[in-house]
Amino acid sequence: MICADLKVVRLILYLSWRDRLLCANSDMQQSRARLFKEYKEVQREKVADPDIQLVCDDTNIFKWTALIKGPSETPYEGGVFQLAFAVPEPYPLQPPQVRFLTKIFHPNVHFKTGEICLDILKNAWSPAWTLQSVCRAIIALMAHPEADSPLNCDSGNLLRSGDVRGFNSMARMYTRLAAMPKKG
Amino acid sequence: MDSDDDMLDAYDDVESGEYDTSSDRDDDDDEHGHGENETDCGYLVEDDDSSTSTRCSQVNYVVLKEEDIRKRQEDDIKQVSTVFSITNVEASVLLLHYRWNVSKLNDEWFADEEKVRRTVGVLEGGSLVVAVDNPRKVKCGICFDKFRRIKIVPVVCGHSFCSTCWNGYVSTAINDGSGCLMRKCPEPSCHVAVGRDVVEKVVSSEEERDKYDRYFLRSYIEESRKMKWCPAPGCEHAVEFSATGMSASYDVSCSCSHRFCWNCKEDAHSPVDCGTVSKWILKNSAEAENTTWILANSKACPKCKRPIEKNHGCMHMTCGSPCKHQFCWLCLGAWTEHGGSTGGFYSCNKYEKAKKGGLYDEAEKKREMAKSSLERYTHYYERWASNEKSRKKAFGDLQVFLSEKIAKLSEVQCIPETQLTFITDAWGQIIECRRVLKWTYAYGYYLPESEHEKRRFFEYMQGEAESGLERLHRCVETESEVFQDGEVPSEQYFNAFRQKLNTLTSVTKTHFETLVKALENGLCDVKSQAACSKETPSKKRRK
Ligand SMILES: [Zn+2]
Ligand SMILES: [Zn+2]
Ligand SMILES: [Zn+2]
Ligand SMILES: [Zn+2]
Ligand SMILES: [Zn+2]
Ligand SMILES: [Zn+2]
Repeated sequence: MICADLKVVRLILYLSWRDRLLCANSDMQQSRARLFKEYKEVQREKVADPDIQLVCDDTNIFKWTALIKGPSETPYEGGVFQLAFAVPEPYPLQPPQVRFLTKIFHPNVHFKTGEICLDILKNAWSPAWTLQSVCRAIIALMAHPEADSPLNCDSGNLLRSGDVRGFNSMARMYTRLAAMPKKG
Repeated sequence: MDSDDDMLDAYDDVESGEYDTSSDRDDDDDEHGHGENETDCGYLVEDDDSSTSTRCSQVNYVVLKEEDIRKRQEDDIKQVSTVFSITNVEASVLLLHYRWNVSKLNDEWFADEEKVRRTVGVLEGGSLVVAVDNPRKVKCGICFDKFRRIKIVPVVCGHSFCSTCWNGYVSTAINDGSGCLMRKCPEPSCHVAVGRDVVEKVVSSEEERDKYDRYFLRSYIEESRKMKWCPAPGCEHAVEFSATGMSASYDVSCSCSHRFCWNCKEDAHSPVDCGTVSKWILKNSAEAENTTWILANSKACPKCKRPIEKNHGCMHMTCGSPCKHQFCWLCLGAWTEHGGSTGGFYSCNKYEKAKKGGLYDEAEKKREMAKSSLERYTHYYERWASNEKSRKKAFGDLQVFLSEKIAKLSEVQCIPETQLTFITDAWGQIIECRRVLKWTYAYGYYLPESEHEKRRFFEYMQGEAESGLERLHRCVETESEVFQDGEVPSEQYFNAFRQKLNTLTSVTKTHFETLVKALENGLCDVKSQAACSKETPSKKRRK
């Protein structure tokens, strides 16, 4: 708890210092204020949602990472997946850019870049969404892939051809390889 | 003059018929001025003279100015709001959703009002309210700040966002495009549509409000099946089209003077159909790399090899002194081979493969075929592009003539301007004919090689029309200049010029009318015309 508070203080100091240097841009002001509120919210919600762990970069409030747990009864169960958030200046009027840092075999995630195809990150974005609720939406997407808008064609094709077993075993294999802590 | 007389001789029996609306006079009679077919309400009626026209092509279209469009849009909104007993804002939201289709909205509304309300996002008894769960302070769902109720923008669904966030939300949508018209409440689970009242309340920037207003207006035209925007850059008129009966063409003239095909929005291309035109435009962009050289503005004189620049609209080129060689811009052949005077046809329009004897091996044959197919295409493309260039040139020349030259000419020749309209008519005829001729090259390209009879018939008519047009264009370009300087003050000369130009205009008009009719009929009267095409050369040899 003390540790988190220190981090908050550090962030405030850093940000106020930056504001004085930069000609204050109102978009940036607003997004920073909002991100800061989310940051405090996250500290409180950590206990409430054990599947999501959102962490803000020490020196840049526009960079976040998240660790999310693979939803149960899916081939991602037992895995922990890391997401990277890049928040644009007009946030929350524009959506954050999110991608998987952890390799994942999923029809709506680009296998190489980790780019995610999810409507709320594009045209269906609403400024009422938060980074936390985006994480929740991504977990929901992991549980319910959309085979019709694939970024990963192999995976989409497996699902569309009805080969659920083939898909599951591939996805599980990559979960084991990439998203599970290696046991020494 | 020899060749002109010869040509006129061959056609002296042809009475000029009405051909197009842009210049409907062939003689000095000028009681009616241009543009008189446009009335106050913007009604333009294209009306071919029924005595010469075999087809019934009365086409009605209306050019709509911004005020007209707004009026119609407001009328639709008012009608819906009155019939449904809802506000104008709600009616607008419904109409946007139903793409301004009033009758469809009517049907669905009276079949299941509840369902329509739900899908579109118009709440019943909707008045703007603020959520009252917390009497003192309300949390904005976007910036998460807490506000006193007075700072929260009231909306029908009661979701709470502060005015700054609302402004940001709607402004972002407006700057993203026309999607701003269909925005829902920012609360992800809420389907209530954002109406114009909210937009007007929360958007502070005048520019963004205007933008929203423009999208709103544009949607009325863009969603309509009967109205389209004029594609001319900067023009803000729309054209409503309603074909009555069997109409042959979709060509319309906007009041900005742009002529376009209402159906495909390309430049007016009658008598060639939209399908051929779109194939041709596609082909042109695919071959663009191979054809840039065609668009060059200068070529070497075929005789003395000096570069000569094309600064006239007609294709008849004359090299400077001392060479003075006269040649054709398109085929670089001698101009003497381009008319009836030498006894042959005008055949510059015709594509003929360079014939080669001997045997080819397979690879060579293929190469040769590829080469000749490109050659064939460039033949048509060059003529298409040159005629378009020439049309533009003529259009510019006509503007200059009307704005400066006509006054000067009237002064120098002591003739009232009203008696100089035969020159304006000639220009109008040239512009229209260049347009038609241009598209006949797209037509010719797609006319199958196997249809020998049709091709021959078509090329003959196209050649005659083109040859007449080149004479007319050259005559007006070069000879009218002479009188401009007052070097030839003789009244007699001027009258001869008038006579010549009138005749050339009328002959050209007749040729093009024949060509247009034949193309509209799909060249199906080829059999009956075959005799005529065989007869003409003998007529020409008469002299
Ligand atoms: Zn707010
Ligand atoms: Zn709402
Ligand atoms: Zn226009
Ligand atoms: Zn068309
Ligand atoms: Zn020369
Ligand atoms: Zn030629």
